[in-house]
Amino acid sequence: MAAEERSWYQSTRRKWEPRFERIARGWRRYRQHRMGILGLGILVFFSFWALFPDVFAPHSPQWTAYLGTEPGRLTARQVETLPHPPAFGDPFYAPLGTNDYGTDIATLMVYSAETALYIGFAAGILSSLVGVPLGLISGYYGDTWIDETIQRIADITYSLPFLPLVIVLVAVRGITTTNIILAIVIKSWVNNCIIIRGETLSLKERAYVDSAKVAGASDARIVFRHILPNILPLSFVYLAQDAAAAILTQAALAYLGLADFTTFSWGLMLQNIQSRGYIFQAPWWLLPPGIAITLVAAAFYFMGFSMEDVANPQRD
Amino acid sequence: MTRISAKYLAKRVVISYVTILIIMTLLFILLRSMPGNFISGMITPEMTAAQVERLEARWGLNDPLWLQYLRFLVNYQMGNFGWSPTWNTPVWQLVIRRLPRTVILFGGIFILGFMIGPLVGMYLGWWRGSSRDQTVFTGGLLAYSMPVFWIAWLFIWLFNFELGWLPSAYMLTPFPEFELTPLTVIRDLLWHITLPLISVAAVGWVGSMLVMRTQMNNVTDEDFVHLARAKGLSERTVMIKHAARNALIPVATQAIVGIAFIIDGSVIIENVFNWPGMGQILVQGVLNRDFPTTQAIFFVLAVLIVVARLVTDIAYTYLDPRIKFGEEG
Repeated sequence: MAAEERSWYQSTRRKWEPRFERIARGWRRYRQHRMGILGLGILVFFSFWALFPDVFAPHSPQWTAYLGTEPGRLTARQVETLPHPPAFGDPFYAPLGTNDYGTDIATLMVYSAETALYIGFAAGILSSLVGVPLGLISGYYGDTWIDETIQRIADITYSLPFLPLVIVLVAVRGITTTNIILAIVIKSWVNNCIIIRGETLSLKERAYVDSAKVAGASDARIVFRHILPNILPLSFVYLAQDAAAAILTQAALAYLGLADFTTFSWGLMLQNIQSRGYIFQAPWWLLPPGIAITLVAAAFYFMGFSMEDVANPQRD
Repeated sequence: MTRISAKYLAKRVVISYVTILIIMTLLFILLRSMPGNFISGMITPEMTAAQVERLEARWGLNDPLWLQYLRFLVNYQMGNFGWSPTWNTPVWQLVIRRLPRTVILFGGIFILGFMIGPLVGMYLGWWRGSSRDQTVFTGGLLAYSMPVFWIAWLFIWLFNFELGWLPSAYMLTPFPEFELTPLTVIRDLLWHITLPLISVAAVGWVGSMLVMRTQMNNVTDEDFVHLARAKGLSERTVMIKHAARNALIPVATQAIVGIAFIIDGSVIIENVFNWPGMGQILVQGVLNRDFPTTQAIFFVLAVLIVVARLVTDIAYTYLDPRIKFGEEG
């Protein structure tokens, strides 16, 4: 019994060890890129904000300047001081100041991290889930009607103006975060599809694909067992880029007035400062959301381009 | 001389036309699935049911769907875009007046982005791995991650609000005090377009830089580069005349794809700078539920992209001597 268990353990271990080894090798290569480490660090930092906002935020979102969380009314003189510049304890604690309603900017910043990361990851993963299989199929059946059909669809999608399409789709379906993500994915899968197709076209000419074919492997087995593992790193590169683009698109939509007003988001903060006319009066309100959007999007780009080197090592 | 056969040209034109037809079909489906319809913007609570009915009949909304679709296809190809309830003019006139303005902005962004990007990419790719490359590349990606409207606000704050050098809105001075001659108008236009262009260029140059950098790095080890160096040419000549020229071809491909993305930038920037182009009325149309305008602007932008892609595609096949389209093979 024990011997059997050990042999099961050993065979599993033998099966998985090369994969762990490959991941470890990739990680060692990735670690050489200062940019990639920086991106990962930024992402981890904002992930903490997204996961535990109540720990990092100085106040709860219901908090208002002067009043705290108590119900009540601001006096006219207090309202005049809003949006309030950064204050540390006198008359209240708001490290990044407040907006014109008296909500703490730092609190809003922390609570908005979740939306940005959610949109980034969801849009990136979804466009990979659509684009990668289509690219694989299109590449594997290159120069057949299947390939032709997929490429025509991709071509038409490329010809659609992206932002106008997203604007119209969001207007049609209603302004919610989910619809924004779906609208982004409708366009952004194309990039993944084209790149993966090109890679598949070259991979399927390799000798190991031929030997798999001779050994009697089915098309599905060749595509998923032999080609897919080789294009996975590359697909992560484009996942990261899609995520960054999605975050920027959400900000742009929010600026145009198409933000989900029921959730916190950095784009919405920027839209608010514009619609209430404080762009040039309240830099403590204008700068942080933009910097945060830039940092998160850049983190995804940094990771993407570092992974590209892992996936496709350049000559030194 | 001409490498492009008439057959190839015809094929490209037909494909572009079919693409436009498919886009129109998508547009029709999309807008029919939108809540409300063409007349919801005109209905007021005081209207009686009979009046609403009359409006519906006038706009042909009681006809069968296939007839509406057919009418839509024919009308749109004749340039008959209907009547805009928000601006109370034929949509066609809105488009005609605003299209050139969008094209001016769009063209400026396109030219500027593809002048700076490949140039920087050339240097970075040639010295890939150096600390200067790392710094500029990281900085470029950081710039690429900035929301365009936000960086535009910062520029407005600096150049308009603080320094007062450049105007922050409109395409021309609204009530000009100077004499209107072509020269002064062009100068006024350039003065107004500077800030929008700088804002978009600050972000937009990175896209082509990334492609150029990769391509440049790929050609550094090619035989013809070594040959050029062996001939005793200076490093600079090798880089510019031999390596960069070959690396530019995929950048041109990327430019074709990038056209659709520049449209996005111009939609946003038109709203930030109150540029009286098509992106501005597209957004207003969507927010006001002005269906005819939204539909027409979307269509015109799509046609713009298809046409731009067709033109660059043909120019590109013409410029690259290695591509021989239209000949069998």
